[in-house]
Amino acid sequence: MDKKWQYFLTFFVILTLNFALPRMMPGDPFLYISGDENDLTAHYSRDQLEYYREYYGLDQPITIQYFHYLKDIVLGDLGFSYSHRESVSQLILNRLPWSLLLVVSSMVLSLLVGIFLGSYSAWRRNRWNDSVLYTVVMVLSEIPAFLIGLVLLVVFAATLGWFPLSGAKTHFAFYESLLDQGWDIGSHAVLPVITLTIARTGGIYLMVRNSLSTVLTKDYMRTARAKGLKEYRIRYLHALRNALLPLITRIALQLGGLVGGAVLVENVFAYPGLGTLMTTAVAHRDYPLLQGIFLVTGTSVILANFLADSFYQKLDPRVQQGGRKR
Amino acid sequence: MDRSIKASRIQVAYHTDGEPLKALKETSFTLREGRSLGVVGESGSGKTSLALALMGLVNRPHQTAGELMLFGKSYLNLREVEKKTYRRSTMAMMFQNATEVLNPVMVIGSQLTERLIEKRLTSSRLAREEAERLLRLVGLEGWETDAYPHQLSGGMQQRVLLAMAIACNPRFLILDEPTSSLDGIARQEMIQIIKSLQKKLGFAMLVISHDLKLVGELTQEIMVMYGGRIVEKGLTDAVFEKPMHPYTCGFMNASVEMAPHKDLWGIPGEYKSEDTTAGCIFRDRCTQSLDCCQSETPALKGVSIEREVACHQDGLVSILKAESVSKEYQIGSRKISALNTVYMNLRHGETLALIGPSGSGKSTFAKIVAGFLMPDAGEIFYRGTPLTDNRFACREGGIQLVLQDPFSALSHRLTVEEAVGEPLRINNIASEEEIVSRIKETLKSLQLYSCDAFLQRYTSCLSGGQRQRVALARALVMRPKVLIADEITSMLDVSTQANVLRLLKQLQNNLGFALLLITHDLNLARKVSDQLIVMEDGKILEEGNATRILQNADQSRSAELLKAGLVDG
Repeated sequence: MDKKWQYFLTFFVILTLNFALPRMMPGDPFLYISGDENDLTAHYSRDQLEYYREYYGLDQPITIQYFHYLKDIVLGDLGFSYSHRESVSQLILNRLPWSLLLVVSSMVLSLLVGIFLGSYSAWRRNRWNDSVLYTVVMVLSEIPAFLIGLVLLVVFAATLGWFPLSGAKTHFAFYESLLDQGWDIGSHAVLPVITLTIARTGGIYLMVRNSLSTVLTKDYMRTARAKGLKEYRIRYLHALRNALLPLITRIALQLGGLVGGAVLVENVFAYPGLGTLMTTAVAHRDYPLLQGIFLVTGTSVILANFLADSFYQKLDPRVQQGGRKR
Repeated sequence: MDRSIKASRIQVAYHTDGEPLKALKETSFTLREGRSLGVVGESGSGKTSLALALMGLVNRPHQTAGELMLFGKSYLNLREVEKKTYRRSTMAMMFQNATEVLNPVMVIGSQLTERLIEKRLTSSRLAREEAERLLRLVGLEGWETDAYPHQLSGGMQQRVLLAMAIACNPRFLILDEPTSSLDGIARQEMIQIIKSLQKKLGFAMLVISHDLKLVGELTQEIMVMYGGRIVEKGLTDAVFEKPMHPYTCGFMNASVEMAPHKDLWGIPGEYKSEDTTAGCIFRDRCTQSLDCCQSETPALKGVSIEREVACHQDGLVSILKAESVSKEYQIGSRKISALNTVYMNLRHGETLALIGPSGSGKSTFAKIVAGFLMPDAGEIFYRGTPLTDNRFACREGGIQLVLQDPFSALSHRLTVEEAVGEPLRINNIASEEEIVSRIKETLKSLQLYSCDAFLQRYTSCLSGGQRQRVALARALVMRPKVLIADEITSMLDVSTQANVLRLLKQLQNNLGFALLLITHDLNLARKVSDQLIVMEDGKILEEGNATRILQNADQSRSAELLKAGLVDG
C-alpha cells in the first residue's frame, strides 16, 4: 500500500477513536455537568436534559452523530468548550504556540547537547571520561522532570530571582520594542526549557553513544582511516552521519509526545501551553476540549512520523527502494 | 635513495578479557619497489593482522610493535597525524570485500575522490571526471560514481575498493583477498588489471590471500604464515614446486586451486590460538615432530638459496634418498640396463609416484631402494645412513614394501593373525600380548575385521581386496617411515582400488609415512602424488612437482607418454 494511504488510514482511525472513546463511557456529559461532586449546582430536570441533548445533537443515531463529527472536523470546527466558554479550536490555537516554543527549543537543545556528549563518550568509550559522563547523565535523566523543575524554580526563581516564577510572559505588560517582548518571553521560557532539556538529553545521549560506538567498529571506518582522511572528516562525515540515522526515529517519537511530555513541566511553571489546558479540561470533564487536544496530539504524532520517514529516506539511501535494507 | 620496504619484527596482540591474543609474532620481510610478495595461510594465521599493522590501523587497546621502513623512512613510530600523510600518498590498502567496507550512505564517487580533494590534487569540479577515470581503470564503466554501495554487486564493490586504493598512486599497495567475491572470469580479469596497474604505476605489492593460485599469478615471492608466524619464505615458483615446511605441504594438499585433479587432504588437527607455550606452533599437527619441537620455537633460517623455513629439521626431512643408482641384468649373453643413474629424494610424509611404462625399471628400483636388491652402482641413504642390506625392513619405523600380487604375497597356509604378526614375531619386536593388540589395531585402521574369527581365517579364504589390505597391514604393523607400494592396486577392481588407496592416503595423512607409489596408471598418480618421477628405459625422463608436470603435460619432456596415459590427455 502507498505510504500516503497508510498515513490517511492512521489519521482516520485516530479520528474514529477520538469520536468513539468518550461515547463508550457510561452516561453522557450532562449527567456529569449536573452531578457535581459537591451537589452545589442545580440538577437538570428531565426536560432540560432532553433539551440539551437535542441542542448538542446527542439524541440522534450514532451514525448521524459520526457524520456530523467528521463534517465539523473537515470544516475546522472542534466544538465548544463547556468550561472555557470558548471555541475549542480557538483555545488550542492560542495555547499551541507556547507548547511548541517549549518543546521545539528543548528538543533542539537536548539534541545538540545529547549528540555532543554522546559522541564525546563514544570516542572515549570505556575510558574514565566516558564513565564519569555516563554516570552523571544517567543520574540526571532518571530524576523526574517535574522534580527538576521544582528545584530549578526554588533555586533560580524563588531564591536567586533570576527568572520569573510562572507564566509565559508578564501580564498586562506593554512592550516598547519587539526585542523587549522577545526578552520577556525568553526569560519566562528559560527554566521550563532547561527542565525539559535535562529530562530529554539522557535518552539522546545514550542513543548517540551506543550507535556511534557500533559505527566505530564498522569496516568503513577502517577504510576511511586507511585513506588517511583528516580527523574531522572521519568523525563527522563517515561516523556521525551513520550514527545519527537511528536518532531520527527517536526525535519523531519525542515530537509526537509534544503535549504528553510537557504536561507536568507546564504545570510546575504554570505555563499556558496545551499541557495546562489539558489538565483543566480533565478536571472539568470538558469533553469537546479533551477531544480537540487528543486530535491535535494524534495528528502531530502522524506528522512527526511522516517527517521522519521522508527525512530518513534522504539520509539513508538504502531505504529508498521499497524499504529494503541489507 | 632506498627503494625498498622493510618490515621488521612486526607484532600484533589483541586485547581480550584475559591474556592478550598474539595474532602476529615477529614477522619481518623486505620488498623492493615494483616487486610483489604474497602472504598465504589459513584463516586466523595473522595475514590480515599483518596488513593492518603495516598500515598502522591496529588501534588501542590492541597493541603493535615493530618497525616499517618505507623507502628509507621510518613509518610505524610516527604520530597518527604524520602517518596519515603516508597513508594519503605512499601506501594504500585494498580491503577485503565485506558488507560494510564502503560507507553505506555516501556515493561511490565521493568515497573515491574525497582524499584527492582533501589533498587538493583535484578540485570538486573535476572530482567526478577523476572518479570516472579511476572506475574505468579497474574495469567498470564510470556511471557507478553516482551509485551507493548497496546498489552495486559484490564484484563491482571489490573493483571500487581497488580503484580507491590506487587513487593516490601509492608506491606500496597491500591487497587483502583481492578476488574473494569474483567469479572465474572476473577473477582472471582482476588479476590482469592488477598486473597492468602494477606495470603502469610501478608500486610494490603485498598480496594477502588464502588462494594459492592467485598469489602464484601475482607474486614473485611468497611467505607462508601459520599461527601468526612465517613458517616458510621463498620464491613463489620454488615454494610451489617443492614446499619444504610440513605445514606448507599440507596447505598445498588442501588447496583445490593448486591441484584440481588431486584428492583433497586437510591437515589433521586444528590450530590452537590459545596455546602460548614455547615450542613450534605446528608441533601438534606435524607428523615429524621431535622432542626439541615441544620446547623450542624454531627461528626462520635459510635452508637453501632464497628459501627460509622455520623448522628445527629444516622442513620435511629426507627419508630415503637414491643417488645415481644403476643396475644391469645379465640375460644369456646380453646385458640389459634396467636402471641408469636414477636418483630420488623421498621426504617425510610425501607421496612420490614413480611412473613409466612396463619394463622401464620401476620394480627394480623399488626393490633396490627397499634394500632387497643391491645396485651395481650408486648409493641409497635411509635418513642419511647408507643402505647396504634389508636391515631397515626388519626394524620398526623402517622401510616396508608391498607388492602387486596379494595372492602370492601372502602364504595361503597362514592365518590372518599369523601373516600380519609375522614380521613382529620374527624380529622379536614386541611381546605376544602387544603383538595381538597391534595386529587388531592395524586391521581396524584398514577397515578389516579385528574379531578373533577373522584373525583365525586362512588368507586363502579372503577376497583380493581383503588380501591386499592384509598385505598392507603386514607392512603397516611395523610402523614404517617409508612404504613402497609397487602397483598395489593393479589387481583390484575399481571400487576396492579406491577404498585401499583412500585408506592408505588417510593413514599417511595421520601417521606421516612417506609413500613411494610405483604405478603405470597416470590418472591414479595425478590423484594422489605430490612429487613425480617419470621413467623410461631405466632413465629418468622428468622429475618434480606432480601437479605441475601433469597439468602441463603437453609441455613436458615426457609429453607423449603422459598424454597417452592421462584420461583427458
